[in-house]
Amino acid sequence: METRLLKGGVAALALGAACTLGTAASAQDTPSWCGAAKATLALLDGFGGNSWRIVTAEAGREEAARCPNITEYFYADGQGDTQRAISDINSMAARGVDALVVFGDAGPAVLPALTNAYRSDAVVVPYRVNVGGEAGTNYTRFVGASFVDDGISWGNFIAEQFPDGANILFLSGPAGNSQGLQELEGMRQVLDDSYVFLNPEPFAVTNWDPSLTQQVLSAAIAQHDNIDVIVSDFGPSLVGALPVFENFDRSIPTIVTSDGNSLGCFWNENHENHPDFDLFTIETGTDNVRLAVQWAIAEATGGEAPDAEVFISSPFENSVTGEPNPVQCRDDLPGAIYLSSGVPADRQAELVGN
Amino acid sequence: MTQARNVDTGKAMRMGGGMALSKGFVTIVVSTIALIVLCFIFAPSAVTAGSLMGSLPFAAVLAIVGLGQMLVVQQGGFDLSVPGGVSLAVVIATHTANGNDTLLLNAVLFAFGCALLAGVLNGLMVAIFKLNAIVATIGMNTLLFGAVFAVSGGVPRITTDLLAEIAGARTFGIPNSVFFGLAILTLVSFVMKRTVAGRRFEAIGANPQMARTVGLRVEVYEGMAYVMAQLLYCTAGILIAGITREPTAFQGNSLLLPSVAVVALAGVSLLGGRGFPISVVVAAFFLNQLSQFALSIGIPYSAQTIVQALALVFGIGVYSIDWAGRFKNTNQRSTEEENHGNQTA
Repeated sequence: METRLLKGGVAALALGAACTLGTAASAQDTPSWCGAAKATLALLDGFGGNSWRIVTAEAGREEAARCPNITEYFYADGQGDTQRAISDINSMAARGVDALVVFGDAGPAVLPALTNAYRSDAVVVPYRVNVGGEAGTNYTRFVGASFVDDGISWGNFIAEQFPDGANILFLSGPAGNSQGLQELEGMRQVLDDSYVFLNPEPFAVTNWDPSLTQQVLSAAIAQHDNIDVIVSDFGPSLVGALPVFENFDRSIPTIVTSDGNSLGCFWNENHENHPDFDLFTIETGTDNVRLAVQWAIAEATGGEAPDAEVFISSPFENSVTGEPNPVQCRDDLPGAIYLSSGVPADRQAELVGN
Repeated sequence: MTQARNVDTGKAMRMGGGMALSKGFVTIVVSTIALIVLCFIFAPSAVTAGSLMGSLPFAAVLAIVGLGQMLVVQQGGFDLSVPGGVSLAVVIATHTANGNDTLLLNAVLFAFGCALLAGVLNGLMVAIFKLNAIVATIGMNTLLFGAVFAVSGGVPRITTDLLAEIAGARTFGIPNSVFFGLAILTLVSFVMKRTVAGRRFEAIGANPQMARTVGLRVEVYEGMAYVMAQLLYCTAGILIAGITREPTAFQGNSLLLPSVAVVALAGVSLLGGRGFPISVVVAAFFLNQLSQFALSIGIPYSAQTIVQALALVFGIGVYSIDWAGRFKNTNQRSTEEENHGNQTA
């Protein structure tokens, strides 16, 4: 009996010590933006049906899990349907969820729903896509990405590689999208008139669709004999289109874009046969959501405000200097993952269904 | 609707079969030649060999999708399940095979199996249960996109080397997809114009009531139009999966409007009746070349979409509206009203 008591006592002591250590460790690990109050959080995606969004949603979930005071975490996918996205926002607000992080794909169309949620005392943080309105009136805070900085990073690389000027073909997504316009603004800050944009102003429209990109590129290659650089804000959509250069017996030129595993592997397989094929990428931005989640949690739990207010993508791969990284490829994993992401590559592979 | 289809049949009969064919065919061929001349003058880069090699595969895909849509339109219907049908074939061809050439045949068979099922369901809903074709196929489209998400989760996957070789490579300097397009054109033309079943198919489309009176199984032919259409969309989707190295899961979305536009441009009446497969294929080339022309001279993307829509309006305006009959009716009506007014006064 004594022995059992002793054993029980030792076990209790050990457990207590472990708990104390655990608490100390978790207190140490708890980020400063995670305050003392308990809160619930929802990540609302306007469209969740591609690998970029799947990885982004996981990054948001990971970030929320770092704060132990987030008692419940919800995710809703608007499936590209504005009505559904609005309904998701209303529904989460009606449930009394404390903090909403919203990818407002539909832009200002979701603003009234965000405003209602904000007025019902929820913390509302739209991110990446501008939804109009004002912080403090329609929502708590907008956490944007600095696409101008992306353009500046690209412009700097182009200026280094082509100091005497270059012919540039700039491809972006849907017509008039603000991301493409800001990226162009960034490039123009760095590149003078000796750098000529061959595309129609402000950029060649591709809808980030590989088959449309392929058709646009075919037309552009036929039209222009001397494309020095192709700039695209979604690198993986180029992978299907770049082999078009072989139809013209021309080398793939320098590519300046955002990262993607399929693009890195494509460079690995093809750069030897294409002497002009250099590659420079910036991080694709799946971690933008982390900053938005941090702000939402800080506001909802009374934590410290994060330092950054805007997400800035850093340079990721540079095939010329190898700085900060040489071109990355995991050919054992799906092409549709992003090695720049904070979500581990193997976890991404699981999510996108390897 | 039935009345309208009968009016169209009357027009076709008055004009005679050969005449109707030559009208649609000549118009689209002349338009295409004029476009090529314009390209040579204003945008020579759009007609270089390299440019054509890049764009012809997409013209072939559009031609195949257009042929499928034509079969449905011939029966007086519309198939709005084109995006779902094409996208499902794309994701099955890329996801089920998963980069493994040995799994490609299974993936292709699976894709055709799904297309067959979708086509049969469309056919049952429209031909047997007499649901409105637009409502039935838009529902099917949603169902097919549900399957697209189930297979892929919306995530693109790189195609297999074998499929890229079959669909994307060239033989004698011509993209293989062009040969697929021509083979399907030959098959559709032969069956429609040279077999009893094909002629019955056209007759039923032109006047289902008369066909029923003479004992033809109208529902079977009408339903088969949807089945064949889905099989053609599936073929187009598999080709896209080979042509585009990493196609998205929503690749069919951009094909709906052009698929109807090429049918309208080819001179097929949207009220049902005769089909003109060669004209559909030429119209697909025309529309594709128009895009290349617009890209080469720097026309904004929005304008290109408007051009497609205008092409559709043009096709409907020329071939599907019986202008002479309408003016005649209007004149008759106003004369009758005038007479009636005179009598009451």
